This record gives sequence, C-alpha cells and structure tokens, in this order.
Amino acid sequence: MTVSAFILAATDATTEVANQGPVEKIVDKFGLHWSLFISQLVAFLIVCFLLKKFAYGPVMEMLEQRKQRIEDGEAKLLEIEKQLEESEAQKAALLEKANIDAKRMITEARDSVTALSEQKAQEAVAQAQTILNKAQEAARAERAAMAAELKQEFGRLVVATTSQVVGKELNAADQKRINDEAVSSLS
Amino acid sequence: MAAEGHDHLPASAEVLFELGWFKFTNSTLMMLIVAVFLIVVAQLATKKVTLVPSRLQNAVEWILESLIDFMSGVLGESLAKRTFWFFGTLFIMILFSNWMGLIPGVGTIGFSNVTPDGNPYPGDTFTPLLRGANADLNMTSAMAIAFALLWFYWAITETSVKEFFAHIFAPKGKFQGVMLVGMIVVFLFVGLIEVASIAFRPVALMFRLYGNIYAGENMLESIMNIVPIDALKWLAALPFYFLELLVGLIQALVFTLLCAVFLRLICEHEHDDEHAH
Repeated sequence: MTVSAFILAATDATTEVANQGPVEKIVDKFGLHWSLFISQLVAFLIVCFLLKKFAYGPVMEMLEQRKQRIEDGEAKLLEIEKQLEESEAQKAALLEKANIDAKRMITEARDSVTALSEQKAQEAVAQAQTILNKAQEAARAERAAMAAELKQEFGRLVVATTSQVVGKELNAADQKRINDEAVSSLS
Repeated sequence: MAAEGHDHLPASAEVLFELGWFKFTNSTLMMLIVAVFLIVVAQLATKKVTLVPSRLQNAVEWILESLIDFMSGVLGESLAKRTFWFFGTLFIMILFSNWMGLIPGVGTIGFSNVTPDGNPYPGDTFTPLLRGANADLNMTSAMAIAFALLWFYWAITETSVKEFFAHIFAPKGKFQGVMLVGMIVVFLFVGLIEVASIAFRPVALMFRLYGNIYAGENMLESIMNIVPIDALKWLAALPFYFLELLVGLIQALVFTLLCAVFLRLICEHEHDDEHAH
C-alpha cells in the first residue's frame, strides 16, 4: 500500500463520517467502543471489589476497633476519675475523722492529766497534812513527856531542897506530899 | 521511541493492539497500571493491620477515614457506609489516574506510525504507549454508567419502587380538589423534565471529566510544543503541571461529590423533606 492508498482510505472514512448522525459522530469522534467500554467497566468493578476486599474492609474494621478501644479507654478513664474522686473524698473523710479523733484524744488526755495532777496534788496535800498532824502529835506527846519529866524532876528537887533545908531525911509520905504540892503549883 | 512527529493529541485513545473484537488502547494500559498500583498499595498497607499503624497503613487509613467522613457528610452515615466501596474507589481511581497521567513519559513515550513500506503514516505519526486514563471517554463513561445503574439500585432499595417514582412524579405538598388535579398534571410534566435531567446527568459527568483531563493534557502538550529547544520543553510546562495536579484533585472531587449529591437527592424521603423544612 502506498501513501495515496492511505489518503484514499482516509477520504472514504471522512465521507462515511459525514453521512453519520450526531450520536454516531460523537461516538466516532471520541472513540467510544463497546469492547473498550465493557473492558473499562469490568476493570473498574474489579478494582472496586479488590479495594473493598483488601483495603476498605480491613481498614474500616481496624478503624472501628480503634474507635471502640478509644471509647472503652475513655469510659475507663471516666470510671478511674470517678473512683479517684471517691477515694479522694473517702481519704478526706478519713482524715477528717482521724483529725477529730486525735483532737478528742488530745482533749481527753489533757483532761485526764489535769484530773490526775489534781488528784495527785490533793493526795500530796493530804499526805502532807497527815505528816504534819503526826509531827504535831509527836511534838505534843514529846512536850507532854518532857513536862511530866520536868515536873518529876522539879518535885524531886523540891523534896531534896526541903530535906536539906529541914536537915533531916524526909519520909516517903512527906516526900510524896511535898512532891504533889510542888507539881500542883506548876500546873 | 520518541515524541517526534506527535502533531496533536487525538480525542480518542489510540489502539495498541486488537484481539478480534477486543481493542486494547494506551488509556486501557494506563488504567490497568493505576489499578495494579492501587491494589498493590492496598495490599501492602493492609498486609499486617495493627492497632499502632505503620506509615503506609496510617496514610491509607487517613485517606479512607477522610473520605468516609466526607461522604457521611453528604449521604449520611448509613448510606455512606453502604456505598463507600463505590464512591471510595471512584474518587481514588479518578485521582490517581489523573495524577499518574502527569508522570513524565505518559504521552511522550511511544512508537512512530509508519506505513508497511516504511513511510510516515498520514495524519498522526506518533502513538504514545500511555495516555491519561480519564482522557478516554470509554473510561469516564464506564464510571458514569456504573454509577447510573447503582444510582437507581440504591435509590429503589433505600426507599421503594413506589417512593422512587413518587419522588419524581408525585405532587409535593398537600392539595385538594381541582388544585390536586392541576398539580398532578404539572408534576407529571415536571417529572418528565426530571427524567430527562436524570438521563443527562451521567452524560454530563462523563464529558465533564473527560473534557477537563483531555484539555489539560492537550494544553501541556501544546505548551511544550511552543518551546523550540527540546531540552527546555519541560520548563515551559512546569507551572501548568501544578495547575493540572490541582485540576486532577478537583475533578476527582467534583465527579464523586456530584454522584453522591445525585444519590442523596433521589434517596430523600418525603418525611425527610418535611423535617428539613
């Protein structure tokens, strides 16, 4: 085939196109062809199917899983925060109670110490009083004993003196009478 | 294998080989490369899915999670989850087809067309090995028609056949007597317009995407052809590559968003409207 044969063929084709309707002209101009259309359509649907199987399915499932995990995590976080708040409140309540108990115990201890010291002071005072009384009693007894001894000594001295003044030995009755008189004069 | 003699970007994809009725074009090859790339990435990312993700798993999760959140905003959570296999693939497929069409070599590496006797073929003398997948109306129409079929299926299963037709033809609002008869006639006419609108939506979708991507590739090629020095051709096209990256993303978003909005509109129940009002 020569170039002129190709030109002739092209001219025939041009004449054929001129006789076509508007739709045929468009189809011819843009190269629309059933086999091409169907092959492109099938290829596109195959890509749709493969992407759905290999990409959309697994990725969507993973996104869903991740979303679920995030939601679960959020829910757990809220629960933990709630528990933390509860435990904070519980801790605060316990601290408050412990504080009140401690204050009460301190007050009780203080009261107890005051009462004890008072009691001890009273006991000490009582004991001191007893000791004082005993000492006074002892002093009184000792004084009485000394007074009795002094009286006896005085009577004996009066008798001795009387005996020396009168120059004779006094008998027992005289000695007793003089002694009694001397002692009675002292009281 | 060079771009010499590539005088223009044809409106249709070029056939690389034919097996009987089956044609294999450079855009089909590009589409298969994109598909294999996406499947391999998906496989690698989800080979060992863990709660603490790897970098790739994290990136894939980010893309999919952002997409499903976006779709949920348009369709509602339930419908978004049900249809995500389609809308997710639609967005990812369009986006990566658009972006991979910008890789240097796509549209510039190919073979020269010669006649059997070794002379240059009259007309386009160069066939690129790869062509942007969405710069082929067969690809965009395949996605648009697939959406159209699923659109009706989802609309009917989300509501019912009766509700589906009532949504299109039944009078909206409460009327009685002569007013009701008048409204039935009016809404029957409105329904016919709606049917025409529904029928044209997939066509608009396929041509919008095709037109934008084809125009972008054409523009890049034309800009490069302005520069006479081969070594500097890329420099002239460089700013437009950034523009095309943005166009690729926007077109993927537009196609997916429009499909989602169409589905949302047709799945809206009468009581949804009342709630909305």
